[in-house]
Amino acid sequence: MAIQDYFLPKSLEQALDLLTEHGPALLVMAGGTIAMPLINDGISMPEKVMGLRHAGLNAVRRENGTLVVGATTTLTQLAQQADIPMLQEAVRHIGGWQIRNMGTVGGNLFAPPPAGDLAVALLALDATVTLASKQRGRRTIPLAEFFTGFMTTALAPDELVAELHIPLPRGKTSYIKYARKHANTPAIVTVAAHVVTEGNKVADARLALNAVGPHPIRVRRAEQLLLGSPLNADSIALAAKEAAAECEPFTDAIATDWYRRRMTEVFVRRALERIAE
Amino acid sequence: MASRIVTFNLNGRDVEVMVKPLTTLQAVLREHLHLTATKSGCRQGGCGSCTVLVNGEPMLSCLLPVEDIAGQKVVTLEGITPAEGLHPIQQAFFDNYAIQCGYCSPGMIMVIKALLDRNPNPTRQEVMDAIAGNVCRCTGYDSILRAAEDAARRLQSA
Repeated sequence: MAIQDYFLPKSLEQALDLLTEHGPALLVMAGGTIAMPLINDGISMPEKVMGLRHAGLNAVRRENGTLVVGATTTLTQLAQQADIPMLQEAVRHIGGWQIRNMGTVGGNLFAPPPAGDLAVALLALDATVTLASKQRGRRTIPLAEFFTGFMTTALAPDELVAELHIPLPRGKTSYIKYARKHANTPAIVTVAAHVVTEGNKVADARLALNAVGPHPIRVRRAEQLLLGSPLNADSIALAAKEAAAECEPFTDAIATDWYRRRMTEVFVRRALERIAE
Repeated sequence: MASRIVTFNLNGRDVEVMVKPLTTLQAVLREHLHLTATKSGCRQGGCGSCTVLVNGEPMLSCLLPVEDIAGQKVVTLEGITPAEGLHPIQQAFFDNYAIQCGYCSPGMIMVIKALLDRNPNPTRQEVMDAIAGNVCRCTGYDSILRAAEDAARRLQSA
C-alpha cells in the first residue's frame, strides 16, 4: 500500500484537527529520524503521514526559572538556545550533526532504548511534558509518568506532545554516556544526575538512566539512599550499587544485560563523584 | 492520492517537481533530477552519504520529505563544483588520498563545507565531531581529517 497522503499542518490546532479527523491511521512524525527509516525499509507502511516540521512548535523561551521548549525544537536548536550545560552535553552525544539538525526534542521521547539519550537528562532535571488534545485541551504531567513501557507512553491517541517545561537546575549536574565509540553510537548505559546539597548533606537527588530499562528511568531507591547523607565515597558506593540492582538492563548487539548492570554501577559512581568534586 | 508540485531552490536555481506524498529529497535529486552526486546508502540516517545542505545546515536527504523544504535553499555537491576544475575541498580530498571508492565523499565534502563556512579554522576534534554522522569504510578517516585541515588552509589563503 503506497502512502495516500502527507499532511504538513501549519499550527498545533491544524495538527490536532488532522489527528482527530484521521485517528490512529495517521502516523505522526516531526524530524523524521525515527519514522522515515522504518518507512524507507518497508517496516512501517502507513497510509497517511503527518509531518510537524511547520507546525510552529520549534521555539524555546524562558518563563519564571523554567525553560519552555516546543516539541519540534531540533536538538541543534536546543543546544544553541538552552543555557543548561547538561542538556548541551546530552545533545552532543546524540547522533551525528545531521541527525541533530533534524531530530526533535519531542520526537526523542519516542526513541526506544538504547536510543533516546535526551530524555535521561530531562528526567534528571525533573522536566514536565504538556500534551494537547482537540477535545480535552492541555494537560501537563511529569516526564517520569510519560514513559509507561517499552515503546509505550501516556500519550492518548488524540494527543500530541506540545512542549516541555524544564526547571533550571538548583543543584549540581553531571551526564555520562558510556558507549563503544565516542560519537554517533548507541549507549551501553547513560547516566544523568542532579544533586542539591544543603549544609554538606544531600537535600535532593535525581538519578536517571537510559539503555538499562524499557524506557529512560529514574532509580528512586538509589536516590533515597543519598538523602540526608554527605555526598562521599561511602554514600556514592551505596547509591551506585542500588542503582545497578534497581535497573532492568537488556541484551542487544551493543552489550549484554550483565555488562550493562556492571557498568551502571561504575558510571553512576563516576557521575556522582564528579558532582562531589 | 494525487501528486503535488513542490518548488525549491536547488544550487541557486528554482526548480519545480511533481511528487507523490512523502517523496524524499534524495529521490527527487537522484530519480527526478538525475543529480547523482548525492548518494543513496543506508536510507536509515546511519551513513551520511546522502547529506545535502538545507539553508546551510547539513541534513540527510533520505529522511527528508521534499514537501518539508518547499521554498528553501538546497545545495548539493553539484552546486559547489565549479564548471572547470574542482572546489578547494574536492581538490584537498584528491591531493590527500581521502577518496577511495568515493561513495562517502559527497556527504563528507558537504559536511566539511558546512563546518568551514561556520568555522574556517577548525581543530582536528571539531572536524571529527562534524563528520561523526558520516561513515567511510575505505580510508580509516585519517586522510579525510587531513583533507579537511588542508581544505581549511586552502580556503583561508585563497
